[in-house]
Amino acid sequence: MAPATQFEVAQPPKDAISSLAFAPGAEKRRLLVSSWDRNVYLYEIANGAEEANLLGAFEHRAPVLDVCFGSSPDEAFTAGLDRQVKRIDLSTGEQTVMSRHSEAVRCVVYSAEHSLLISASWDSTLHVHNTANPSQPPMTIQLPGKPHAVAASPTKVVVAMTARLVHIYDLPTLASALSSSSQPAQPPQTWQQRESSLKFLTRAVACMPNDAGYATSSIEGRVAVEWFEDSAESQARKYAFKCHRQAAPEEEGGGDVVYPVNALAFHPVYGTFASGGGDGTVALWDAEAKRRMRQYQKFPDSVAALAFSLDGKYLAIGVCPGFETGMEDYSGEGRTKLFIRELGETEAKGKGSK
Amino acid sequence: MGKKKRGHPDVEELLARPWCYYCERDFEDLKLLISHQKAKHFKCERCGKRLNTAGGLSVHMNQVHKETLTSVENALPNRQGLDVEIFGMEGVPDDIVQQHNQRIIQNFYTAQAERQAATGNPPRGQSGGQGPAKKIKYETPEELKKRLAEHRAKVAAQKAAAANGVAPATAPVDGQSPAQSASPFPPPQPGYPYPAPGVPGVPGVPPYPATQAYPPTAAYPPGPSPPPGATAPFPLPARPPSGPAAPGAAPPYYYNGPGAPPPGYPAVPGAVASTVDDLVANAARQGSAGGAADDIDQMIRMAEAGIRPPAAKNGTQAEEGGGAAGEKKKKEMRMVYADTEVSPEEKMAMLSRYRWVEETAA
Repeated sequence: MAPATQFEVAQPPKDAISSLAFAPGAEKRRLLVSSWDRNVYLYEIANGAEEANLLGAFEHRAPVLDVCFGSSPDEAFTAGLDRQVKRIDLSTGEQTVMSRHSEAVRCVVYSAEHSLLISASWDSTLHVHNTANPSQPPMTIQLPGKPHAVAASPTKVVVAMTARLVHIYDLPTLASALSSSSQPAQPPQTWQQRESSLKFLTRAVACMPNDAGYATSSIEGRVAVEWFEDSAESQARKYAFKCHRQAAPEEEGGGDVVYPVNALAFHPVYGTFASGGGDGTVALWDAEAKRRMRQYQKFPDSVAALAFSLDGKYLAIGVCPGFETGMEDYSGEGRTKLFIRELGETEAKGKGSK
Repeated sequence: MGKKKRGHPDVEELLARPWCYYCERDFEDLKLLISHQKAKHFKCERCGKRLNTAGGLSVHMNQVHKETLTSVENALPNRQGLDVEIFGMEGVPDDIVQQHNQRIIQNFYTAQAERQAATGNPPRGQSGGQGPAKKIKYETPEELKKRLAEHRAKVAAQKAAAANGVAPATAPVDGQSPAQSASPFPPPQPGYPYPAPGVPGVPGVPPYPATQAYPPTAAYPPGPSPPPGATAPFPLPARPPSGPAAPGAAPPYYYNGPGAPPPGYPAVPGAVASTVDDLVANAARQGSAGGAADDIDQMIRMAEAGIRPPAAKNGTQAEEGGGAAGEKKKKEMRMVYADTEVSPEEKMAMLSRYRWVEETAA
């Protein structure tokens, strides 16, 4: 069996991790990490050795809530608590402000297929940027609620908001609306509007690499898998399951301690997915066979973010204390860690549905 | 009675089955158990090698992968330790064996009694007549209501007595509602059926429960505190970790999204049905609305909750309130993060440590 190893990155961010992203282009093992310590870190996994080197840190004015790569491994976009969407040239370190929201920016996603950058802010808007034409002002789409998680598939972008709202936009529609002369009077409509299949606040969204559907997770230890196609049989396939829970000791009244599922990531090759929870565990799931494939040894703190590299060879795991109900203060200092797991050949390969 | 056993094995057969220390599953024979242990508990997660024991796996992890094994995989929470060397049935501590046997026996008799009650057949080798009640007795909401009222009066009296300085020494016994003592079997222990780790022996469970009633108090820790019947049936205990929720404020849990609360969920914010009266009234109303059997079931559960202090926690009530919506009975749960409107990131963003204040343009 091929080796499966896991190592801890030597210079992790100094405070909680908000997001992880691997670079496009399989030859580069570049990993971006955004942190509440106001920095975005760029790492590169060493070839052959079990370590990742810090290539650079890019300081922001405020904590960074999300990061993604752009069209090349030298371009990154960030979402800041300071309400700015920024583009970073990773080779020069130059930062340009792409747009300003009126509240903190929660998520950024980039669609390489359509050269679109979509930012979602707590001011309940999406900004859609045409990265092919940076001088063009972004198109604003009003949302019915605060967005909490956004994920893009090759043709769709899924926005999960408060009040369990899920809106799905069609990327080609957005792209054509943006490229058509000046700003259209009416921003493009949603492609689908759904109610989350989970009863609780959505925590994470991830899209299947084959563009067939997506998974969402909630604060209540549950993950739902659903499909884009609006036919009855496709919708009947959707399901949800419990995970990231622990039996409480009997002396504390028994029952379950239920952790939020903070992170979801699909394996780009096999289409299986990983979930990371407040219980400090990462589990690999086979969405087709509806089975858990494996669960890794517990991490010392809550799993905040996950990302697979584009070739599916590496899984990056951001670990820091989870924010729990009743906390008056929070700091991820000293307890924030970054793990890289090199997956074995078939480690994330599903068995297919039975 | 020449009839076959219909696939119900007897106690001896059940007790003879080998079972896994780590997950309490039982198996047809020892070989199966051992291969189960190798596959489920002693398999190296790095290379898939199956070892014979946890110790063997530990050494393997150490030598081959330079890692330390900290716990046995797929094991029950209190059985993950590496300190006991298990192989098949060998090495299982005596007290654990006894606990297991106890549980098998208890389950067996409970199942047997249920079958008898359901079918009305007398126990094997016994002619009919004086067996246990033939059918499960269903009561109308009125009857239950009456009994609950009686129970409530008793509780009130005890409270008054306690207030007058009379120690409610006999409370546990007197506090038993008729519903409870009418049942010949102890109520199933809520949640995890095994004693907490570190509790020696099995103090709560009497050996070989008789099929007839035995003092139900045996299932509870003896002694006056907490007197099961003497506490208010539905106190509103502080929610352990859920922060400074002001009384009367909307509960942060459950269905405060735009989706309409399911029927049966208390509509008044903060008003987790707090008295037996309310609950009875609620249940009775629902009972008349339809699905009577379900509602009676719910009422019985509630009645039990009133006299079953370890189970009667707030979360359960909230769940049961929602349970009328046809949800299946849920175990009590405690959410580590329970705000359904505001994300953890938003809360973190408000902390002075992270807060961003936009400079006002001069």
